[in-house]
Amino acid sequence: MPIQRIDLTGRASDYPEALSTYSDTTPKWRVLLYPHRSLPATGFVWVIVLLSAGLALPLLGVFGTNVLWGVLPFMMLTVAATWYFIMRSYRDGQIVEELSLWNDQLTLVRVEPKGARKDWQANPYWVQVAERDEPVKHYLTLKGGPREVELGAFLSADERLELKTMLEREILQLA
Amino acid sequence: MADAAIEGHDHDERGFFTRWFMSTNHKDIGILYLFTAALMGFISVAFTVYMRLELMNPGVQYMCLEGARFIAQDVANCTPNGHLWNVLITGHGILMMFLVVIPALFGGFGNYFMPLQIGAPDMAFPRMNNLSYWMYVVACALAVASLLTPGGNDQLGSGVGWVLYAPLSTSEAGMSMDFAIFAVHMSGASSILGAINMITTFLNMRTPGMTLHKVPLFAWSIFVTAWLILLALPVLAGAITMLLTDRNFGTTFFDAAGGGDPVLYQHLLWFFGHPEVYIVVVPGFGIISHVIATFSRKPIFGYLPMVYAMVAIGALGFVVWAHHMYTVGMSLTQQSYFMLATMVIAVPTGIKIFSWIATMWGGSIEFKTPMLWAFGFLFLFTAGGVTGIVLSQAGIDRAYHDTYYVVAHFHYVMSLGAVFAIFAGIYFYLPKMSGRMYPEWAGKLHFWAMFIGANITFFPQHFLGRQGMPRRYIDYPEAFAYWNYVSSWGAFLSFASFLFFIGVMVWTLGWGRRVTEANPWNEYADTLEWTLPSPPPEHTFEILPKQEEWDKAHH
Repeated sequence: MPIQRIDLTGRASDYPEALSTYSDTTPKWRVLLYPHRSLPATGFVWVIVLLSAGLALPLLGVFGTNVLWGVLPFMMLTVAATWYFIMRSYRDGQIVEELSLWNDQLTLVRVEPKGARKDWQANPYWVQVAERDEPVKHYLTLKGGPREVELGAFLSADERLELKTMLEREILQLA
Repeated sequence: MADAAIEGHDHDERGFFTRWFMSTNHKDIGILYLFTAALMGFISVAFTVYMRLELMNPGVQYMCLEGARFIAQDVANCTPNGHLWNVLITGHGILMMFLVVIPALFGGFGNYFMPLQIGAPDMAFPRMNNLSYWMYVVACALAVASLLTPGGNDQLGSGVGWVLYAPLSTSEAGMSMDFAIFAVHMSGASSILGAINMITTFLNMRTPGMTLHKVPLFAWSIFVTAWLILLALPVLAGAITMLLTDRNFGTTFFDAAGGGDPVLYQHLLWFFGHPEVYIVVVPGFGIISHVIATFSRKPIFGYLPMVYAMVAIGALGFVVWAHHMYTVGMSLTQQSYFMLATMVIAVPTGIKIFSWIATMWGGSIEFKTPMLWAFGFLFLFTAGGVTGIVLSQAGIDRAYHDTYYVVAHFHYVMSLGAVFAIFAGIYFYLPKMSGRMYPEWAGKLHFWAMFIGANITFFPQHFLGRQGMPRRYIDYPEAFAYWNYVSSWGAFLSFASFLFFIGVMVWTLGWGRRVTEANPWNEYADTLEWTLPSPPPEHTFEILPKQEEWDKAHH
């Protein structure tokens, strides 16, 4: 599920990889949003291992001959290209949005595939979760801060709706 | 991030040129692959008709040194032009192996339906997909150019056989041979990029909940094929690069006079070449599975064994290559190994065949056109497999090596196996891809004409092979005349059915009955592509599909 709720109950401090902090207190509620990817990291290791082992098989026969140098470059190119493109596919999907809620601050941090980071803060008292069907179904934005920002655009429509419900409930429950 | 809107995506406003020449859409690229492969297939089939015309009667009547004829000449006025014959068999082989069947199944159906079946919005790298396609077009252009540029014997084209064996290929004069090598290089690079794209898409873009053991069989077959391409083609690329340097830069990788080894070229070629024949046929397995399940109104029997049989066939494909070269002088132990390893392939193949039969068992079978093609595939592929077991025996292969028995065998598994799978796929998916339904009678007529034609063409070639007729010759002694004559008529019937098929396609795409419902077959066509409208819109699954849309519990 690309909406990951960070479980904060029963923990004294925040989780260490947090992108945002505020007044050294644990947020009331925090979620991580990221696009769906179906290959775990161990899967990537398996791909490279199987590919390299498979390509090594014909090399055994030509080891120690000139022909090795005719075949080896193409195999290395293939492994390198596979490595690069799977990594590239991960990287293309490496958008993370971290949404954290404190009593008097709502923070949204977005990290882009190439590492660029964007921050947004607002007082939850003024925050409005706006929803419209343009440009995509259940497009979410947050109003009430310095500028209007989109939220979870890479999620599926249903997930965005679910996120909206969750966020609105949490804001209502603030003291 | 301030209200950054995603680009609008409602209507297809692309012009013809933008849509078809600059396409990054997996469905459009799939269609491009299918049409280009059809064109190449037509050229390649036309060669065979001319060759069967020549072989129809003993003596050379058409391929004269005085000029190629279309009307039979008196044998006395015709000097046989063996070079032309050799160029045609080489062209037929290279086109069919590299530029027709793989692009149609892997590039065409794979591009179109693999992302749909796993619920992905597109391929992982849409622009690289476009690059793969255009590299394939360049490969086609180079292959055709190779037929028309100066080659050996002071004639056009090179006639060394699609395997490009050294020293024949290293000593063939002219630049035609170099063009052929470049064509194979290009198609190889295109396939490798395509395979990386497919693997990444398959692994990383499956819809939530679709674990590897829930992916539909066609998508699995494409994944296995992509692995075979990735493991086999770099070896071929290395081998033909060394051919190129042997030809042009004076290296002696395959020249015994300089310390090289021509047999090593054969090992490298067949290390690629045997997986290649599975690259050709495995996507067909995937299509046939869906067709049989749909028209038997039953879920596929033994999903997991079907998946792992494909994986096993792929893996075994890499350890049996030398059964293509029993006669090069291997030790008895080596021959015994390759013989046994080859026979083991019958086990996973048998699992597949029996699972298909078990799927039909007790089902309510409907003989729609795609099902007929699937039946044809099953029967003919099995027949080809049986002759494969015969040929796998090193001792018997001494007698059959390079005879028409081999020609009959590999045409039964590939021409009648893979090509029947392509036709099954075309008829099965035509309403989905085009939104139009072919006339049922026309599909059936095409099937029966092709089924009978192909059998009349290739079955007698078993007899010719047993009589000892060698392959790759323009002429033969009178004793082989009878079955050659029969075989030629079969080829003409098959060709007529192919022309008829082209007519059916033109009619259907232009004037066929419109199909608007998502699924024109029945609820056992239950993969994700059948949840989309026909034809599918430009963008599909931008919102990832939910599990209940594809995870049907028929069981």
